[in-house]
Amino acid sequence: MKKILAFALALVLVLSACSFATAEESVADVIAQAQTMTLEELFKKAIEESNGKDFYAVGNSSRGKSALPLFVEALQQIDPSYTLNWDWQQPKENKIFDQLTEDVNGANHVMSMTLIQDGNQIQSKMLDTGVLLNFVPKDWTEAEGLARENNEYPLALQTLNKVFMFNNLGEATFTNMWDFVAEGQAPLFMGVNSELVGKNFLYMMTNEKYANLAKEAYEAWAGKNADDDALIEDMKQDAAELGLTAENANYGLAWVYLWCEKYNEMTDDGPICNTLVTTSAVDQSGLLVYSKLRSVEETAESSVNNVTVAAYQDDYTGIGGYAYKHYLMLTKSSPLPWTACAIIAFMTTTQDGFKAWGKDMGGYAPVPACMQDHSKDGYVDGVNTFDAKNDRGYDWWLNDGKLVVEDPAYCASVSGTMSDWIDGIVSSK
Amino acid sequence: MSTFASPKPSSFRRKMNGVWTYISKPQNAILLVLGIILTVTTIFPMVTILQDTVKLHPGSIDTTNSNAADAQFQALGGTYTAYNWTNLLGDTITTRVGRERVTRSVASIYLITPLLNSVLISIFACFGAILYGGIFAYLVTRTNLKFKKYLSSIFIFPYIMPQWTLAVMWQNLFNSNAVTGGNDGLLTSVFGIRMPLWWCQGLFPVSVVLALHYAPFAYILIGGIFRNMDANLEEAATILNTPRWKTFLRVTMPLVKPAILSTILLVFSSAMGSYPIPHYLKLSTLSTQYVGMSSNRAGQASILAVIMMLFGFLILIVNQRTTSGRKNFTTVTGKSGQSSVVNLRAGKYILAVIFLITTLATGILPIILFAIETFLPNPGDYSFLTHGIAGHMTTKWWMTAENVTENGMYGQKGILYNSEIWNAFGGTLIVAVLCALAAGTIGTLIGYCVSKNRRSKWAAYVNNMAFLPYLMPSLAVGVAFFVFGSNVGIYNTFLLLVLARTVKYIPFASRSALNSMMQLSGEIEEAAIIQDIPWWKRMTRIIIPIQKTSIISGFLLPFMTCLRELTLFMLLCGQGKIITTMLGYFDEMGLYAFSSGINLILIVLILVFNTLVNKLTGASLDSGIGGGK
Repeated sequence: MKKILAFALALVLVLSACSFATAEESVADVIAQAQTMTLEELFKKAIEESNGKDFYAVGNSSRGKSALPLFVEALQQIDPSYTLNWDWQQPKENKIFDQLTEDVNGANHVMSMTLIQDGNQIQSKMLDTGVLLNFVPKDWTEAEGLARENNEYPLALQTLNKVFMFNNLGEATFTNMWDFVAEGQAPLFMGVNSELVGKNFLYMMTNEKYANLAKEAYEAWAGKNADDDALIEDMKQDAAELGLTAENANYGLAWVYLWCEKYNEMTDDGPICNTLVTTSAVDQSGLLVYSKLRSVEETAESSVNNVTVAAYQDDYTGIGGYAYKHYLMLTKSSPLPWTACAIIAFMTTTQDGFKAWGKDMGGYAPVPACMQDHSKDGYVDGVNTFDAKNDRGYDWWLNDGKLVVEDPAYCASVSGTMSDWIDGIVSSK
Repeated sequence: MSTFASPKPSSFRRKMNGVWTYISKPQNAILLVLGIILTVTTIFPMVTILQDTVKLHPGSIDTTNSNAADAQFQALGGTYTAYNWTNLLGDTITTRVGRERVTRSVASIYLITPLLNSVLISIFACFGAILYGGIFAYLVTRTNLKFKKYLSSIFIFPYIMPQWTLAVMWQNLFNSNAVTGGNDGLLTSVFGIRMPLWWCQGLFPVSVVLALHYAPFAYILIGGIFRNMDANLEEAATILNTPRWKTFLRVTMPLVKPAILSTILLVFSSAMGSYPIPHYLKLSTLSTQYVGMSSNRAGQASILAVIMMLFGFLILIVNQRTTSGRKNFTTVTGKSGQSSVVNLRAGKYILAVIFLITTLATGILPIILFAIETFLPNPGDYSFLTHGIAGHMTTKWWMTAENVTENGMYGQKGILYNSEIWNAFGGTLIVAVLCALAAGTIGTLIGYCVSKNRRSKWAAYVNNMAFLPYLMPSLAVGVAFFVFGSNVGIYNTFLLLVLARTVKYIPFASRSALNSMMQLSGEIEEAAIIQDIPWWKRMTRIIIPIQKTSIISGFLLPFMTCLRELTLFMLLCGQGKIITTMLGYFDEMGLYAFSSGINLILIVLILVFNTLVNKLTGASLDSGIGGGK
């Protein structure tokens, strides 16, 4: 009896190991094939695979819920009988990484794909571990005007910007990135441990490119004093101990230190925006998602015209904010990989697929054809009424606005030491 | 004459007969089954979280920083490490404080301050809740205070509302540009009053808000004793010419002591596990620290959860040492012939006015502000008040039928047309009903079975096992069930929510049932046993009808509290699954109109249910755990 039981258990173990290996190969195999197919071919594969089935995805952005019905409609144009019972989940409190890991490593694989942010954790928890697999659609690689750099691996759905703004009803001026960390400032910002892309931004400030920008801005800054000079010098030791290799890392690190010491933590960018646009928020500043300006209703107390986007000033020096990305990937154990590939291709190469995100300013798809024009969002009846809402576009923000762009590999390489250094400062405020 | 020696049964057979005799009694069989189930559902998640503290987490510092010192753990399969414990409790890091380089222990950053804050807010919350709720309970039950019925109903409102709503209201009232940064709150914008920082953020407001939230709990527990207290003892003291203050201290207080201790035990653990209030009012506690650490220090976050659980065990031990649970709750529901009423004279009006004002601030004002908020054009934008422009009010938060991004709707439809909100409401109702049924039924059975086996150690064990999760901070239980649910593949399912909630709130029903069953004479059931009435019939025809009020309270409390629970659920499901996670999302996003509207609907829903149950059965929230009428 014992022998039979042991044999049965062994058989179950072997079979489950085999089935897992097959599933893993098959998703990678599907991706390899799918990368050579057009959108229409992917649609047909998706119809074959998932008609009438349950499809599960998990995302940091709730707007996937708006995109999926459009995907189903697109497939119904090919096969009117096509249906898909989809469920788009949005976990709280950074649990998306645990959920994906458990889904892939557990016995019951449900999730087919994800829309996910935070390059640092994606690199260390999802890519290095093989939990997620990257898929690059053929139509995407062949798209006209494609912004391929930093968007291919992992595949980016969009780049979002968070920009420096300030309430302009007072006397304070913010014409340099160092003005936001000057004595007496308390810029509004989401906590570094509640939205981790903010922490990634701080890691990136020590990267060579952005540390150099910090140095240039510091040298041009009229507000600096001897204490600041001493701090910059002193930060060389910290940079060395943290293993930072950029020549001017001490400038970036000094800015990060001052920022962490001074920022006023808010629960979300929404409240930051609602605060900054009011008449009582005189001289307040903040770093927040640009698109939040779209949500302000004009009243006697609140107006978009009460804020200035720092980087839009002609005499502004330094970084104008930072950029992070929403990535699209398949799970290693995706139950419906063809459908997941078709959805990713749909979202990243068509205007309908990107519509749920494209209607907002401040979010930029790598494929220009997906984008909507937001350069005149501040115009009312042909008159430029709310200048802050006129989005100057992806290229402008990268080159002139000098956004700090998240690099997952760099973030992952310094987070081990810098995270504690930052937490130490924040906890002693 | 031949004799027949009856065969002597074997030792095994005798044992089996003994077992059969034992489990043939329904109360024993039920205790056995429930004991096993509760052990699994309570202990297994705890073991899982303990294991998580020594597991390696990809992308976490235990993976990047652990070294050869962990060889003995890695020999277990390469997935275990002692690093999380050694680093948190023994290591140091160099950082900056006030521009100076300092070396700080890791514990001082991630553990000591949050732990200290958690303990302090728990102590202050207990003190405040007992003082405010206890005084109110005394006045309502033992004096001729005016407007008792109205005050009694309103007083429990803060307990009905999701706890962080008072915190958000605190922010909206007292924040000011000059002190907290950001924009001015209502007090500053309308009256120009600026409160100091310690009043607006940190230990003080967190303690006050928690105390206000749990004061109804103290009122319910202490009021239950005052209401049923035998007045003969006090009257005897009065006849002996004992001064009133002495009677109060020497007679009344000792009788109330068990309820005060119960309040301390329950409020302490609840306050310690609270996440949203410290989060909104900017205080670092074990709960907020857990959430902050869960990405980069996942294993160490689990250590914080373990520490919170240890407090639960500590409280259980204190509970056992200071007062036996049965004695305590028997006192609560002891039937009394009559109770004396103290004549407050003019004080009955003065105190009534004071409580009218305080309950107005804590119970009515939030509801008014919630209602107003749903008509403001931007969150917190009181232009219609400060500038006298009536046109600066809007119905868009209720009536928008289109999916629009403009004008602050963030792609959401108005509340009345928002299927996500109503689906989440549906989800909440499903969870609440199932939890109430499960917790109520299991709790009632436990109460019944324990009362039938008063001297049994196993019964005491089952009773304690049922009570333990309630003494655990909600976040710690949530963490345990998150790890457990993820491991068995039921994360983000109603099953996990119902399971966690049921385990956490069985004590509502078990305590309620135990109290009432202890009052029930065994002769009633024995008479039915003699008549050979089956067990289920005895339960449905005799026991339950007699004690229906207390039993329904045991169903009602899990249901009501489930409707507004966030901390326990926030790690267990996505934000659209149930209404409180959605409410928390709207609050975090600053979409206060949505959260206020949902709050309003929740409060109305709870009041409707409470009234309905009260009319039908006589049970109600403000009559307390096991109180009934």
